[in-house]
Amino acid sequence: MRHDDVSLDNCLKCSDCNTVCPMLAANPAYPGPKHLGPELERLRREGLPCDSDWLEYCLGCHRCDLACPNQVNVSELIAAAKARHSKTGIRKFRDFWFARPALLGRMLSIVPALTNVLLGAKVARFGMGKVMKITDKRRFPPYARPNLDLPKTTGGKAGKLVFFPGCAIRYNQPDLAAKVAQVLNRNGFDTEVRDAGCCGVPALANGDGVEARQRAAANVEELSRAVREGARIVTACPSCGHMLKAGMADLLSDDPALEGKARDVARNTYDLAELLMSRSDDGALDTAFARRDMKLAYHSPCHQLSQGIGRPWFHLLRQVPGIAIEDLDAGCCGMSGTFGFKEEKYPASMAVGQRLFDRVAETRPEMVVTECATCRMQIEHGTGVRAIHPVEILLEAYGQRGNGDRHG
Amino acid sequence: MDSNRFDLIVVGAGLSGMTAAATGAARGLRVAQVFSGFGMFVFGAGSIGRQPLSAIETPDLRDEALTFFREFTRQAGCPFEGDIDGEARLPTVLGSFQSVSMAPSYVWSGIAGTPGLAAVVGIEGLSSFDADFVAERLNAEAGRLGLATAYTARRISLPHEAGVTPGTLHFANSFDRDPAFRAALLAALKPIAMTADLIIIPGLLGQRTGTDEIEQFRQELGTPICELPTLPPSVPGLRLFHALERRLRRDGVEFFSGFPVTSLLLADGHCDGVEIATPARPRRLSASSVILASGQFSGRLLGRQGSGFDDRLRPLDETGGAIGDNLYAAGAFLSAPGEHGGNQRAILTGYRAGMLAVGQEGRHATR
Repeated sequence: MRHDDVSLDNCLKCSDCNTVCPMLAANPAYPGPKHLGPELERLRREGLPCDSDWLEYCLGCHRCDLACPNQVNVSELIAAAKARHSKTGIRKFRDFWFARPALLGRMLSIVPALTNVLLGAKVARFGMGKVMKITDKRRFPPYARPNLDLPKTTGGKAGKLVFFPGCAIRYNQPDLAAKVAQVLNRNGFDTEVRDAGCCGVPALANGDGVEARQRAAANVEELSRAVREGARIVTACPSCGHMLKAGMADLLSDDPALEGKARDVARNTYDLAELLMSRSDDGALDTAFARRDMKLAYHSPCHQLSQGIGRPWFHLLRQVPGIAIEDLDAGCCGMSGTFGFKEEKYPASMAVGQRLFDRVAETRPEMVVTECATCRMQIEHGTGVRAIHPVEILLEAYGQRGNGDRHG
Repeated sequence: MDSNRFDLIVVGAGLSGMTAAATGAARGLRVAQVFSGFGMFVFGAGSIGRQPLSAIETPDLRDEALTFFREFTRQAGCPFEGDIDGEARLPTVLGSFQSVSMAPSYVWSGIAGTPGLAAVVGIEGLSSFDADFVAERLNAEAGRLGLATAYTARRISLPHEAGVTPGTLHFANSFDRDPAFRAALLAALKPIAMTADLIIIPGLLGQRTGTDEIEQFRQELGTPICELPTLPPSVPGLRLFHALERRLRRDGVEFFSGFPVTSLLLADGHCDGVEIATPARPRRLSASSVILASGQFSGRLLGRQGSGFDDRLRPLDETGGAIGDNLYAAGAFLSAPGEHGGNQRAILTGYRAGMLAVGQEGRHATR
């Protein structure tokens, strides 16, 4: 967290942040980013008690930060307050687990078949709703045995990459890792996976600053070693990418050595599409695409927007002959990782997503493509339209199948 | 296509920046718009006041610029009405009259002067709008100015979350998302509409609505309705911003929102582009032309160098030479510090800067 007092004093109370807040738009009782962020922060810094359960409702979408004409870190002020916010009982217990998807993933993927049967069973979902305050309206994503051993490649002209898969790929969709590597290898990158865990975004989102810092500290050594060895880091999950680029160094700011390493990692971290787009810009992208006649809709995840990399997937997929793609441009999906699973937050999550669901219905695409795993869950849940990672489209356009493709 | 290469980069997304981007995009340029926040849109409704033209506003281009602007806003779903040479009076939330020549239709509908009764409608719990105060002041002002419109204050109550002090933004969000809220607003206004010739309400008819939806609401109401821009955030202004942004996106303009420009890439009297402060590492966008349209914020980018403009809207250095042969300014930045240029200047100079960029020789980016 950047304790940037200048940033706080930059707040002129223009309310630009409130106008873009998806939670405020869908839930009028929510106090909004201006109040929960800079306004209350002044009081918090005076040591006045102003904790509020509303802090739990910040989706961490960073849209307030992007709307601020004066560069106030609105959402970081809220995240810091969230980390000091006290929860009790079941919510505290539940959010402990939601803050640790890697721990959860390691346990649930020991015997994935059993896990999936249990998580899918109506009685288990009902039970979770009652005991753990997890909504029974959603299905958990299936868990898979983590298998991220990528075929070793060497001699790529575009350089060495270390792929940071993140929990959703590692535990729920490991086949995606192979697809990412296939597309990268085809475009001259040698890609490997190193032993790195959860990025820490789920911990921050669940108000567990200590756990988030621990995750950052655990990842930074391995990743900075990779950077020193001449590799760049690549992510295919926008939340992991956002954390490595914009969050990790701030979480480690109490330790200058670690912070320095984190800044090295940040400078060398790229989103998958950002790398492919840079190959395209250099005229080096493999564009031997087979024609794919299909109508797609693209959704920009919030943590993709917050990286400031433009819309690389939108432009990449437009290069595939036959693909008609529309940018939905309909704001936040409302899922925010684990937020949408919480029983008491489910209605708020769906209310936020309604604008996007309406746009999908209006656009009538065959499929929605979006980089974020939980955006995909929310879109499928809210619209019934299939949502996939855009790299799958690109790989298919190359006429390739993923290794161990579940859908194939 | 090179994702960092553009024909034109516009810094700022106020009325001048939007007009400049639209002008370039309409003539086939690949345009990037780089900005933070909503500029002056949160302070007003986009109404245009008449002002004497200065030389840089090139009076001979005026009609062409306004024709373009009218078409741009019409296509965006927020058409302007009025006539730049005319003068009309619009009520304000302070109970005064503002002199305007053109305004978006949902504001223009409130022009004063026609005989009849206008009901100023306040809303229970909405603190920033006092209908009694507005109506009383408007009557006094109308009498002083010899305007035939009479004003009366009314009050309605609208559904809102218990325990929440509602603002116009809350109501606008409800108007956008909740058909039941629209129905409740219509039902509350109907009895007033029966006895009045015009309904005046604080701006709340949605942030993301288009004029067609507002026109439909007016038809169901059966009486003209006019919105007044309130304290920031002004809903009619936000609506105009979103409508213009949607239109520009459809025209292929790429938006980089939330990352301030840290420097201009100046070399040998030429501006190669801008550097923006994106996370982890700055991003460089290059272009054949750059237009500075972020009001007084643009000054910071020129540092000590800035000292006036030439007749082609180019900022000059201390020696009187153009800082960049392809670097232009538009809108309030052209005004003296502390003075706001007004929306007429924003449109005229935005259009002219856009046209200068269109004429700029250079390697063209592919769309």
